[in-house]
Amino acid sequence: MEHDVILTMRGIEIQFPGVKALDGVDFTLRRGEVHALLGENGAGKSTLIKCLTGVNKMDAGKIELEGKEIRPTNPQNAMELGISTVFQEINLCDNLSVAENIFIGRQPMKRGQIDWKEINKRSAELLERFHVHIDVTRPLSQYSTAIQQMVSIARAVDVDAKVLILDEPTSSLDNDEVKRLFDVMRALKAQGIAIIFITHFLDQVFEMSDRMTVLRNGHLIGVYNAGEITKLELVSNMIGKDLDEIFDLKRATQQENAETMLEAEHIGVPGKVEDISFNQKKGELLGFAGLLGSGRTETAEMIFGVTKMQNGDLKIAGVPVKIGEPMDAINHKIAFCPEDRKRDGIIGDLTIRENIALALQARRGMMKPMSRKEQDELADKYIKMLSIATPDAEKKIGELSGGNQQKVILARWMATEPDLLILDEPTRGIDVGAKAEIQRLMLQMCEEGMSIIFISSELDEIIRCSNRIIVMRDGKKAGELNGENCTQADIMRIIAGEKDGENA
Amino acid sequence: MKSKESFLKNKLTWAIIAELLILLVAGILRPEFFSLEINPTTGMLYGSLVDIINRSAEITIIAMGMTLVIALGGTDISVGALVAVAGAFALKFLRWDVTLYPTPGDYTIYPFIIVIAVPLIICTLMGLFNGLLIGKLKLQPIIATLILMVAGRGIAQIATNGKQFTTGYTPYRFIGQGSFLGLPFPIIITIVVCAAMMIFVRKTAFGTFVESVGVNPSASRVTGLKSSRIIIIVYTLTGLLSGIAGLIYSSRIASCDSNNAGVNYEMDAILAVVLGGTSMTGGKFSMTGTIIGSLIIRTITTLVYYFGITSESIMAFKAAIILVVIVIQSEPVRKKLATMQARKQKVGELRG
Amino acid sequence: MSSVGKKKSNRFVNFITNPKYLMVLATIGIFLVIYAFGAAMYGDKGFTKLRTFMLLFVDNAYIGISAVGMTMVLITGGIDLSVAAVASLTGMFIAYGTTVLNIDPIVCMVFSIIVGIGLGLGMGALVTYLKIPPFVATLTGMFLARGVCSLISRDSISINNELIDKLAGWKVNFMTWSAEKAQWVKIKPVAYVNLNVVLFIVMILVGAYILQKTRLGRNIYAVGGNEQSARLMGLPVNKTKMFVYGFNGFCSALAGIAYALYVKSGWNLALQGGELDVISSAVIGGVLLSGGVGYMVGTSFGVLLKAIIPSLITFNGTLSSWWGKIITGLLVLIFVVLQQVVMNGQFFKKKAKAVPQKE
Repeated sequence: MEHDVILTMRGIEIQFPGVKALDGVDFTLRRGEVHALLGENGAGKSTLIKCLTGVNKMDAGKIELEGKEIRPTNPQNAMELGISTVFQEINLCDNLSVAENIFIGRQPMKRGQIDWKEINKRSAELLERFHVHIDVTRPLSQYSTAIQQMVSIARAVDVDAKVLILDEPTSSLDNDEVKRLFDVMRALKAQGIAIIFITHFLDQVFEMSDRMTVLRNGHLIGVYNAGEITKLELVSNMIGKDLDEIFDLKRATQQENAETMLEAEHIGVPGKVEDISFNQKKGELLGFAGLLGSGRTETAEMIFGVTKMQNGDLKIAGVPVKIGEPMDAINHKIAFCPEDRKRDGIIGDLTIRENIALALQARRGMMKPMSRKEQDELADKYIKMLSIATPDAEKKIGELSGGNQQKVILARWMATEPDLLILDEPTRGIDVGAKAEIQRLMLQMCEEGMSIIFISSELDEIIRCSNRIIVMRDGKKAGELNGENCTQADIMRIIAGEKDGENA
Repeated sequence: MKSKESFLKNKLTWAIIAELLILLVAGILRPEFFSLEINPTTGMLYGSLVDIINRSAEITIIAMGMTLVIALGGTDISVGALVAVAGAFALKFLRWDVTLYPTPGDYTIYPFIIVIAVPLIICTLMGLFNGLLIGKLKLQPIIATLILMVAGRGIAQIATNGKQFTTGYTPYRFIGQGSFLGLPFPIIITIVVCAAMMIFVRKTAFGTFVESVGVNPSASRVTGLKSSRIIIIVYTLTGLLSGIAGLIYSSRIASCDSNNAGVNYEMDAILAVVLGGTSMTGGKFSMTGTIIGSLIIRTITTLVYYFGITSESIMAFKAAIILVVIVIQSEPVRKKLATMQARKQKVGELRG
Repeated sequence: MSSVGKKKSNRFVNFITNPKYLMVLATIGIFLVIYAFGAAMYGDKGFTKLRTFMLLFVDNAYIGISAVGMTMVLITGGIDLSVAAVASLTGMFIAYGTTVLNIDPIVCMVFSIIVGIGLGLGMGALVTYLKIPPFVATLTGMFLARGVCSLISRDSISINNELIDKLAGWKVNFMTWSAEKAQWVKIKPVAYVNLNVVLFIVMILVGAYILQKTRLGRNIYAVGGNEQSARLMGLPVNKTKMFVYGFNGFCSALAGIAYALYVKSGWNLALQGGELDVISSAVIGGVLLSGGVGYMVGTSFGVLLKAIIPSLITFNGTLSSWWGKIITGLLVLIFVVLQQVVMNGQFFKKKAKAVPQKE
């Protein structure tokens, strides 16, 4: 069966200062297969990809493409060899038109000049294949993230790729778009293109992949055929921990007579979210489910004052409040861990200590600085409490892994001792171990009386943790469910619009 | 071991080394460069070193504000024009109208407090204008301040009707030419300004807030910082500091010169900040570094004068030395140096 | 039939609302408004004469030539503060070379252009490979060029050379048919095109061609749009940046030659602050200082728009010349605020929020 192997990597070693990022990793890819590459953050997945695309130089090992040894020097070179990559963050230029983004660097020429007509025609045709019908001459910045993602895939596919690498392609797509992407992947597969598929969504791995390679701490753990391994086994291979420990979470107990913490009455921002009403008790974990763009994040941002609420009333502990900007919310003891950790969360160049102290300092105001000692104590306390993996508090937060960054952001808000904590996708893009820790922490804080609004795209974690679940659809509240006795199917039916219901 | 490595990677270290090297070269070539004397009649300290600090006053003062501006990830290229504005308005109130008071002498038309205060207020307002454009309208700093850089000199010329006034008013001349406690008065002003700025920045949380907004404005807002307010404060402050520098400059020459006052000051101030190790991309800043950066620039100038090279060609020497410093400070080179150092250490450890 | 008309108007609306072109249209629009204003106010004094219009080109050709290179640098997200100093150095080379050393002016020009490109590449290398901020790197270049210029001579040297005179004096007059004399005569007042204007127009065309019709040009936009992405898309980012700074060095030297032809002298302090004129012309022409957006058409109108203000002040006769600076400042203000509204405001983002249609 050797003949159908298109790519082999043998004994790959990459040394970073202080760590061995990859240690003797083997990887084979067959023609026309979807091969999932799995592992926690820091397992070496992206290093392996970067090695394959020539971004990182390998210290030892051998790559063979169609039996010939190759040594890609940069992404362009890899592309010429037939290895195309769609990176996790959209790597396009949003000042250029959609069409140009697909063809830049390899534009069709006519009499020594760029043939713009041809570019526009061919990109429109190409996007048709993805069922995307847009004006390709407009700047990319005018289109949604999902479309931008499609454009970058279109670009990668169009270069006569033999190997296509998709690094977390679905993280910014909604279900419908994921489905469309999968159709495209199947079509490419049928053409004999080999696809390396990296994702955090295990469901998608099981739906799409033929084989799976698992890495952990730079080592190869195993290669499995689809159908030979269960989800649970796969996860335990990825994290190397006992599974029961991770999934043994107990929902916070809800006091029947707990006082009301937050009341939202018909709040909204025209054009984004409208007419949202709900209330939340002290110590309650309120889940927000819904598709991306359904208004979950917008609701959270409105409560926290990131976007200004224009309609409706908000009451905290029965008292009407006006929240015009984040500072107001912080003064009312509300805290908010935003969805886009890189953009809205971490201050990359500052240390862990400074990042943790920042929100508390902001509330105290400029003229009442925290002493260094106070900051150190605060940082040490939370590093220990949240088991943040770092040698000391003076490391820059930008140098931490995603999961640890998330913990620092959490610490920043816990330090303000909030009554209401809003967590927007706190577990996205972090590894399974850290995910479980964050979930456990949430539940513990609820037990201690904090109210939490928990937004997540992953239905099972919402169901597992929430006391009550609000389901959003198209910028409106579509339903409310009791967390104890609802199923994924219940939520999905509301999202799909089959049922507007409250079973609570 | 670790501290040694970070010591070498630290940009401030390189700035100090550069300044010391330049002084060393000066000392070897002309030992008298370091001589200090006290003038028996005035009791004032004399010597090249004092002169360097004295003459660097304007740039150092402006660069204090520029450090914060750059830490925010911005630039302010209007400071030179503001220096001209301050001088023009001060002379305006000293002389009011040269056709009515044709001879310059030891007098002032308006009270001294107005002569000092009004230019400072105008410069502060101009700084506020910059701050509002950048903080509220979210304009790009370089372009927002380009507006006053272009228009500022025009405004300065309107104030004096395009004429160059001179003055002989003693209190005004004292600002740039007088001495206090044996030191030239500009040095005293510089020390006071620098101390005030450093206390303001490090003894309150302002410095951290500036760094935070400079690194990630969006995250800072979500964390509860009022980014736009911080931006406005920083640019307003820089306006005020440019005004102070403008008064010192115009007092030194006892006149106003709207065309030439403060020309290239924005460049020198930015260079001082960058030489001092604050990155142009924003974030962590060092005011001590900035002071050293400003001294480097002035030392080069003084040195070149000292060796009798024509004043205009100073720029070539400045360029050469700055080139060396920025190349050493540049990230790729520092990384290389750091790995070389690490390798050496490893070899040493293996041997030991 | 109506559907054809509709399609056309749609295309027109599309063109107008496409933010890519909006800034350029604004520049042209404001130029036309100011020109019309000048025509209404000073038409009787000869503002509308062809001569006045052509003098805008003649008097500002060197700024225009430099603005071509600057536009490219700005589109990559960089900036070049050395342009005026390099131009001044070129003028000095030509003046000193021809007049003091008696070297053939062509040799001097070629030498200047080589030096200009060399300096540009040097600064480009600092920016590209050592990652020094363009502001600082080109500032160093500016100091260097001015310094060297002063080392050559501290006095203004007037150029005394036959060929230079010939080049500077070459012009093509606009003619009109005179029925009385039955021959072509110069229009009155005399309007002409000289070598500098030709250079300006050629450079604008070359620049526009590079930007719109070559891969190199599109890479320039990509680098300015998102350098990281451009790298990951496999574009030759470093080469592109090197080209842009080198080309800008060439433009600076060429602008220096044009300036030398214009004033027929070399001086170490010539064009002091000229880099600002060039940068603000580009900004008024709709080039975004953050990179990624800009057109040569816009830049050329930016140069004219900035040039027409002093011209208007001269026609007014009573206003002081420093009003020119203030009005230029105001124009820049108007443009950047406009850019802000167009680029970041709702207009830009929301207009075409096309969701993929389902079938």
